[in-house]
Amino acid sequence: MISVTSLTKFHGTHRILNAVSLTVNKGEVTALVGPSGGGKSTLLRCINGLETFQSGEVDVVGQKLAGGKPFDPKSLQKLRQKVGMVFQQFHLFPHMTALENVMSGPRYALGKSRAEAEPLARKLLERVGLKEKADSKPANLSGGQQQRVAIARTLAVQPVAILFDEPTSALDPAMATEVLAVMRDLAAEGQTMIVVTHDMDFAERATVVHRMKAGEIVKSGPPNEVLKDHS
Amino acid sequence: MKKLAIAFLLLLCTSLPAQDKKPFRWGTDPTGGAPFVYQDDDGKYIGFEVELAAYLAKKLDREPKMVAGDWSNLPQQLNKSPDVEGGIDVVLNGYELQEDLAGKYLPTRPYYVFRVVLMTRKDNPAIRGWSDLYQRGGERKTVGVLGGTVAQEYLEKTFQKQIELLSNPDVANVIKLVRDKRLDATVQDSPAATYFLKEYPELAAVGEPVRPGFYVIYCRQDDKELVAKLDAAIADGIKDGTLQKIYEKYGLWTDDQERLLYWQSQPWPPPFHPEAEGKGEEKKDAPSPLPRLSRELAEAAWVTIKLSFLSFPIAMAIGLAVGVGRVYGPRWVRVPFTLYVEVIRGTPLLLQLFIIYYLIPDLLARSGIGFLGDLGRALTPMVAGVLGLAINYSAYEAENYRAGLLAIPKGQMEAAQALGMSRFAAIWHVIVPQAIRIVIPPVTNDFIALFKDTSACSIILVVELTRKYNELFNFNRNLIVELAFLTAGLYLLMSYPLSIVARRLEHRLASLKGGAA
Ligand SMILES: Nc1ncnc2c1ncn2[C@@H]1O[C@H](COP(=O)(O)OP(=O)(O)OP(=O)(O)O)[C@@H](O)[C@H]1O
Ligand SMILES: [Mg+2]
Repeated sequence: MISVTSLTKFHGTHRILNAVSLTVNKGEVTALVGPSGGGKSTLLRCINGLETFQSGEVDVVGQKLAGGKPFDPKSLQKLRQKVGMVFQQFHLFPHMTALENVMSGPRYALGKSRAEAEPLARKLLERVGLKEKADSKPANLSGGQQQRVAIARTLAVQPVAILFDEPTSALDPAMATEVLAVMRDLAAEGQTMIVVTHDMDFAERATVVHRMKAGEIVKSGPPNEVLKDHS
Repeated sequence: MKKLAIAFLLLLCTSLPAQDKKPFRWGTDPTGGAPFVYQDDDGKYIGFEVELAAYLAKKLDREPKMVAGDWSNLPQQLNKSPDVEGGIDVVLNGYELQEDLAGKYLPTRPYYVFRVVLMTRKDNPAIRGWSDLYQRGGERKTVGVLGGTVAQEYLEKTFQKQIELLSNPDVANVIKLVRDKRLDATVQDSPAATYFLKEYPELAAVGEPVRPGFYVIYCRQDDKELVAKLDAAIADGIKDGTLQKIYEKYGLWTDDQERLLYWQSQPWPPPFHPEAEGKGEEKKDAPSPLPRLSRELAEAAWVTIKLSFLSFPIAMAIGLAVGVGRVYGPRWVRVPFTLYVEVIRGTPLLLQLFIIYYLIPDLLARSGIGFLGDLGRALTPMVAGVLGLAINYSAYEAENYRAGLLAIPKGQMEAAQALGMSRFAAIWHVIVPQAIRIVIPPVTNDFIALFKDTSACSIILVVELTRKYNELFNFNRNLIVELAFLTAGLYLLMSYPLSIVARRLEHRLASLKGGAA
């Protein structure tokens, strides 16, 4: 479903990703672990075109990004509608209510009307446990609530896969738990996702774990194999 | 102590560098123009008043020294000492003998008898005399005058709302607008009319020149000696033909001037209200002009409001487009937009208004393309004013918006794009609404500033509050304080509610950020 083929990225002369290849199958949960600065965030950002890269290819259900040239805006937009992203800092739109945030993708990316977008948006808010907060502005939500709204917002575009970049590391443990619970539910329902995480509990339940270090995938496999020598 | 001070003063006087002759400092506004005081091709000041001043100075055995000032403020210069920088001994610049001025300053006997002259294009069949200025059903005629002059007062009294009266501080501009068919007619003092009829053969004087009046020289109230000397010099000049020679040189000698001699021997100044005099009573209290003046000021304030409220939304729209273009546009958009902002911010509003109202229509007319020329001619002062203010402020708003856009965290754009929004959609739905909220305080401040900047539009014949104040002040110099307070009050009345709105908005904004919304 997602395949990354020998992706290499430089920042100036500094090589951040070195011929990274990786495949993700439908319904799988892929965990990316590894030391800080290993290139995990950069890899995610390349997969949905937030960063350009020098060589290699990204393919998300047939939507391709090729390295070495600027992306075509139209195909980039199509790719992003297929692969959503949840950020460490949530990045909710502060001028919109929770509901409006969730509707923003369908309305402003897919061109649906408010009436068309609202039922799904409400359903998604309910699914992340925030039905009552539909009319609250982000400033009035806790960090955990904000991240759950951000997840609902990503789901609203109905992407085939979701990229999570350390979704809980800006949260205190209690709030992290509620976000992780939502993510587990999603995984259980067969949502394809790639998750950068330092949370070993979550990583242990992933389908596949890749360890990244200095811009390379140094080890891949089932959780018990990849995670056992580090804890 | 007192003696000491006097001795000191005497010492000061005697120790001044010995000059051959005492200067005769005469105040004038050279921008008022030909044929009074103007520059020849070599930049030398000429004009019948320059020669008159030279003649008078010679008779007084003093050295003529021209001191330039703003026309309507020349009499005020007399309130200051003549020895300070820009100080004057007399005002000599087409000032009429007027009751309010004669009450504050000493007028000499007249040196010229003028009338007001109606001028229009030779090929304009619609205006062949004064009575053609009445409205009679159709559109009001547009008539340009020099602001604060007798011509303006006469037209206001005689035609009131029947004509559209436009005033401007520069005679040459008004005359050119008539030539270019952008104004129907103009009314000028006869010397100016004489001069410009020669300069612009397309124009003609129509109807009889009317309302004779005297040009006099004003001196300080306590300068009786100077006035007596000037009166004697004027009388001599009339008798020995010197004045006639000067006036003839400029084509200004008219039959009216024959009466000058008569007035040199009459009681001076003549009564200002001959009709009231006959009744032998104390001069009756005329109804206070203040209600009328207030009404006129209020009408001008309405013009100020219209200018501001029409121009600022346009400025915001252009500013937003330019600001977004500068932050998110491709290079070929960024470069011209940056240039736009720098050019507009780097040039004065007055110049921009001048270009829009005078220069562009002129260029359009010369382009030879019919409809463009018509478009230029149809440009009214109000439209030009709104455009000028909008364009000027759009540059400042663009900078506000740019700062606002740059203050939005990068993550907002990334999050929007990660949802599959196009760059445009992300800017429009996510970035711009946030930026607009951030810049509300500086933008409202600019609106208040624009309110005050509307006064610049007076150079393109828009009579807004400041302009109106200046004009009324010319005819009501005994009400200067009242007028100033009324005008300031009106400005405050308009800008204070804005300040309140601005503060409310800021407050709401702060509470939004604080999370109490
Ligand atoms: N904009 C940039 N300019 C230069 N170097 C960068 C930039 N962004 C990232 N890097 C470098 O790329 C490398 C990989 O960064 P990245 O954020 O992908 O690592 P990470 O594995 O996500 O680390 P962490 O666990 O701390 O989030 C780091 O060495 C970082 O310094
Ligand atoms: Mg990272």
